[in-house]
Amino acid sequence: MLRLLPAIIALGAFAAILAGWAAGGGAVEAAWAPSWGLELSFELDGLGALYGLLATGIGFPVFAYAARYLPLHLDHQGRSHREEWRFFGLLLLFMVSMVGLVTARDLILLFVFWDLTAVSSYFLIGYDRQEAEARSSALMALLVTGVTAVLLLAAILLLWAEYGTFSLPELAARARPGALVTGAGVLVAIAGLAKSAQVPFHFWLPRAMAAPTPVSAYLHSAAMVAAGVFLLARFYPLLALSGLVLDLLLAAGLASIAIGGVLALTCDRLKQVLAYSTISQYGYVATMYGLGGGKSVAAAAFYVLSHALAKSALFLTAGAVTEATGEDRLSRLGGLARSMPALAVGSGLAAAGLAALPLTIGFFKDELFFAASFDDSWPAAVAAVAAAGLTFAYIGRFWLRIFAGRRRSDAVRLPPLLTAPVAVLGLAVLLGGAFAPPFGDLAAAAARASAGAVPPIEPAYHLDARAENLMALAAYATGILLLAAPWLWRRPAAWVASTGARLGPERAYTVGLAGLNRFSDAIHEIEVRDLRSRIAAVLVPGGALAVAGLAATPTAGAYRAGTLSTDDLALVLTLAVVALAAIGTAAPRHHLTLLLSVAGVGFGLAVVYALLGGPDVALVAVLVETVAALVFLGVFALVPRDVLRRMEAIPTPRRRRWRDPAIGIFAGAVVFFVVWGALSRPSPAAAIADEHVRLAPQAHAKDVVTAILADFRGLDTLGEITVIAVALVGVTTLLARGRLR
Amino acid sequence: MILVISLVVAILFGAGAYLLLKPDLFRVIVGVVLVSHAANLALMGSGLSRGQPPIYPLPFSDGISDPLVQALTLTAIVIGFAVTTLLLGLVVRVYRSHFAPDLDEVARAEARREAELERDEVSI
Repeated sequence: MLRLLPAIIALGAFAAILAGWAAGGGAVEAAWAPSWGLELSFELDGLGALYGLLATGIGFPVFAYAARYLPLHLDHQGRSHREEWRFFGLLLLFMVSMVGLVTARDLILLFVFWDLTAVSSYFLIGYDRQEAEARSSALMALLVTGVTAVLLLAAILLLWAEYGTFSLPELAARARPGALVTGAGVLVAIAGLAKSAQVPFHFWLPRAMAAPTPVSAYLHSAAMVAAGVFLLARFYPLLALSGLVLDLLLAAGLASIAIGGVLALTCDRLKQVLAYSTISQYGYVATMYGLGGGKSVAAAAFYVLSHALAKSALFLTAGAVTEATGEDRLSRLGGLARSMPALAVGSGLAAAGLAALPLTIGFFKDELFFAASFDDSWPAAVAAVAAAGLTFAYIGRFWLRIFAGRRRSDAVRLPPLLTAPVAVLGLAVLLGGAFAPPFGDLAAAAARASAGAVPPIEPAYHLDARAENLMALAAYATGILLLAAPWLWRRPAAWVASTGARLGPERAYTVGLAGLNRFSDAIHEIEVRDLRSRIAAVLVPGGALAVAGLAATPTAGAYRAGTLSTDDLALVLTLAVVALAAIGTAAPRHHLTLLLSVAGVGFGLAVVYALLGGPDVALVAVLVETVAALVFLGVFALVPRDVLRRMEAIPTPRRRRWRDPAIGIFAGAVVFFVVWGALSRPSPAAAIADEHVRLAPQAHAKDVVTAILADFRGLDTLGEITVIAVALVGVTTLLARGRLR
Repeated sequence: MILVISLVVAILFGAGAYLLLKPDLFRVIVGVVLVSHAANLALMGSGLSRGQPPIYPLPFSDGISDPLVQALTLTAIVIGFAVTTLLLGLVVRVYRSHFAPDLDEVARAEARREAELERDEVSI
């Protein structure tokens, strides 16, 4: 089945990265733009391996799921199956840009991949393009992550300006604490936090659930959002140089845990619960980077790994449940465990992993988190327990509402390809709980890439009364209490939700976007309503720039009047005629007189060219002027007489009567000084023309100009002929009969 | 000579710029023509040498005029002609769709059309 090809590619990439990592990593380098210090340099270090394995390893089950899900999805919407390829192509691009991002060592390269993930996610979120909600969600994701990406670029350039390198390892070695590193660190932190949907940039993520389910699953666990915390990990050596940046991460992380957790507890739509849960979960990760220190960084890396496994399974579950029942709200679901046992078990394991129950990989993620926070301070420890309790409660609510209790809706049988990936991911969560050391090693290697020396992660179960175990028990108790007594939190949580909707950053985004739209409409209005002001708006600033240039140039010896002999009398007289004819074009009322004036200019110039020693040019000018005059006449004949009369009689408004000539004179004056200055200083390199003259006989031409046109600069002539051909096609099309409407 | 040529170039350009600001589209085109004339003359005037035409057999006594600028000017003239024709075609087209080759009228029609589109969008 061809649809499984992306999944197979993902699996192959996973195997390749795993093999590369087992072989000790490695680096690839190629010149990109050496003069700018840019290199195509990739390195598979611990951090790259962790996120690369996530992107491909989560990609495999998600893409396999998509192979079955997407045809159903398109059928529901009555769309053609041919649109599948766009989807799979974009998914693969998403994966490739993610792998490129995590292995890039050159910062500009990193930025390019960073933006590629934003672009591919834009198209994936807006995949159901016939729906306005999908389109606006995609735009929101692109704007929030794209605008903050510019901050990342600014930070990269700041660091480059100071330390002169785009290479991250070199930067880490050279950077010293200071205002610049702090400033760059803040910019990087904002970019990372916006991408991983942390408060106050979190609002785009719940909207992004408008995407087809496999996209949400992938985006939340292994790509896009994970890229945000990856950036924090990658830049950690620089971020850690400034206490301010770490405090910023800590504050944003704690706020995200609280707000995401509370909102996840109140939401009714399946994917929305999971989206807020993702915000809260990455809040943990940001918090741990904010706490700083090797232990926290290692815990953060492990957290990302275990969260990705669990969250992707839960998203796929949400999609499968909606597919089977047609419902996407917790309040309309229930008791599905009996009709879809495999899905219930798979997602149950994933939920247990997120809730940090023992025997799952999630237990260790919380254990490490507890240890890091306990080491830091007692308020951090209390916050950690509260956060874990909140997670336990919302994920428990999610699973119990779907699979336990009274049955509220009918379910059709699901195809195996929609349940198997969930089961596989669930088993991976369980496997991580049983054989944790390999996962711990990978996370520790990733942490070493961020923070240098890191204590090894040794996940194991200890049956004693150590702090981590007591904190875990306290968290379970909190979670069970929250689940058992919803009246405790229902009101405050609803208040948080409504206040957030009313005063939150999403409102600022909406208002800001509407303001920008109005601004652009206003500009457009001006453009459409007054075309001539637009022309003047080009001419006047252009002239002002030229004047500024003239003012800045020294005038001494810049202008020469040149010599004038009696032989030049004919030339000067012809030029005078040309000038008079040119001035004459401004006056006439009738189009025919206007045409005669401009033809006078043209033929006068032909004579000038002849007197300047250019018979070829003069000949062409005469020909062209003749034909041009005929074309003008032909066009006059195509437009009815009364229209021409009406146009001739257009009165000039009073304020234009002085403004237009003034602009004309100003433009002429500027051009005069520019051209005079240019002609006064001929380039001394006369060799080219002499060479042309010398070589002309070898080109079998008597006329040097002909030789240049047909031979030495033949490509120019080819371009000229192309222009003529294009103009011919254009005119034919324009004059073809028929009206636009 | 340099001064004279510069002056004429400036007059051509100034007259062209003035016509560009007119509402009558034919005058706008004449403005474009004049501006390209100004460019051609400037190009031709920038020749490094002046004398007899650069055609073999070369004259022994006098110098010859710079052939390179002649070739460039020749190309520029032809391209200018193509642009003029295309612009004239556009004017005919504008007349056919808006019934007047007049910028103000075109702008008003554009604004009307815009308003219609907005209305349709709202009603959808």
